[in-house]
Amino acid sequence: MKLFFLFFFLCVTLLLAQTELVKWESQQMSYELPAHRHHDYSIDKSSLGLSILSVARNAYYFFVSDLDGDNCAFSPTCSAFFIQAVKETSIIKGTLMFADRFTRDINFFKGSNHYPLLSTNKFLDPAYNYTLHSAKIKL
Amino acid sequence: MIQSTFQKIFALRTYSNILWILFLIIPFVKGYCQSTNSNNYFSPDNRLQFANYLYKDKDYLRAANEFKEYLKFNSNDTVQFRLSNSLFKIGRFTEASDNFKGLFFGSKLSEEARLMFFESNFFQSDFNSFRNLADQDVYLPQKYMKDIERLKFATYFFDNTTLPDENILLEPFPVSAQSQIAKFYIQKKFQLHKSPATAAILSALIPGAGKIYTGEIGDGITALVATALSAYLAYTNFKADHQFRGWLFTGLTAFFYGGNIYGSAASAQIYNARIRFDFDKEVKFYFEQRNYFLPQIDL
Repeated sequence: MKLFFLFFFLCVTLLLAQTELVKWESQQMSYELPAHRHHDYSIDKSSLGLSILSVARNAYYFFVSDLDGDNCAFSPTCSAFFIQAVKETSIIKGTLMFADRFTRDINFFKGSNHYPLLSTNKFLDPAYNYTLHSAKIKL
Repeated sequence: MIQSTFQKIFALRTYSNILWILFLIIPFVKGYCQSTNSNNYFSPDNRLQFANYLYKDKDYLRAANEFKEYLKFNSNDTVQFRLSNSLFKIGRFTEASDNFKGLFFGSKLSEEARLMFFESNFFQSDFNSFRNLADQDVYLPQKYMKDIERLKFATYFFDNTTLPDENILLEPFPVSAQSQIAKFYIQKKFQLHKSPATAAILSALIPGAGKIYTGEIGDGITALVATALSAYLAYTNFKADHQFRGWLFTGLTAFFYGGNIYGSAASAQIYNARIRFDFDKEVKFYFEQRNYFLPQIDL
């Protein structure tokens, strides 16, 4: 009987006891690094071609970029550059601009070029500098 | 008499009565004080004093507002000049030139106002209009003819107009500055530009050659390697009868090849823009350091 009461008492105490989290209003620590990168998943509806491209870019973001990490040395990234290039010019010219950018991206010695370096340690290389309109170039 | 008054007051014997008296007296005393020390802070003279203080303190934006208020009630050439100069200093050049115009006739500051008018027009960066204005000989100040002429020739370095003869351009500048300006002249006239068409043709002949031509050696070598490698892979896959992979690498070769031709032309344009940018920066710095060879007018 004594044991039963002791067991009952222990159970009640455990059930009603305040855990440390409740008592001190403490919170569970999260050691996960906050994500600094937020991809723009919006779909450009200005034209059918851009909509298709936006979907392709989103697929790339979801299946490759988000898993692989922030590895592009340029700002805007190559995928964003492609969309910008198509918006600025046309699908053919935009693709050529993207091909050129991709070649420049795989260059191991791109640091020696004259790209302005941003505070994020990325090279500023916007699409409007490559439209072949000298008036649009901003250094 | 006073004693009797005090006696009367104390005869009231209660504080409430004293408070009542104070309540009645204070407004009169206050009104009297105000009438003797009346000081209208917003009178034109006070505004002018304040505006001059702000002007000397280089607070030109607020000074201009105060000068404007003063000029609503009075007319004064110095104030008008200071207002225009304040607008000039804060970069409102169109307003400044309009205000300087008001001093062109019948003012002792006419010559200075005309010079500043030209300066205001110069800083509006429409150099073609500025040269036309200087050539018209309408508002030119006699005292500062040489300065305006120098300013006119300086404009040739800031836009893409054809340069005049070197001797004509150098003549108004002081001898000590002529050698440097002659250097700018040669730099401007024979700018080492790269042709986008040449860059594109070179890249069409040898992938990456156009990039090397524009000084992007790393990009050129990368383009050559990428194109050659993908072409080789296409060739070997076709040879081994792997049709799909063959066409895939052919597409990739076309992608690198076309992108490189386009990129070489773009790279040449960027190279030229960089040359122009560096030159403009150097010239602007040189002239700014010397106040565009203009006299400093400080009224």
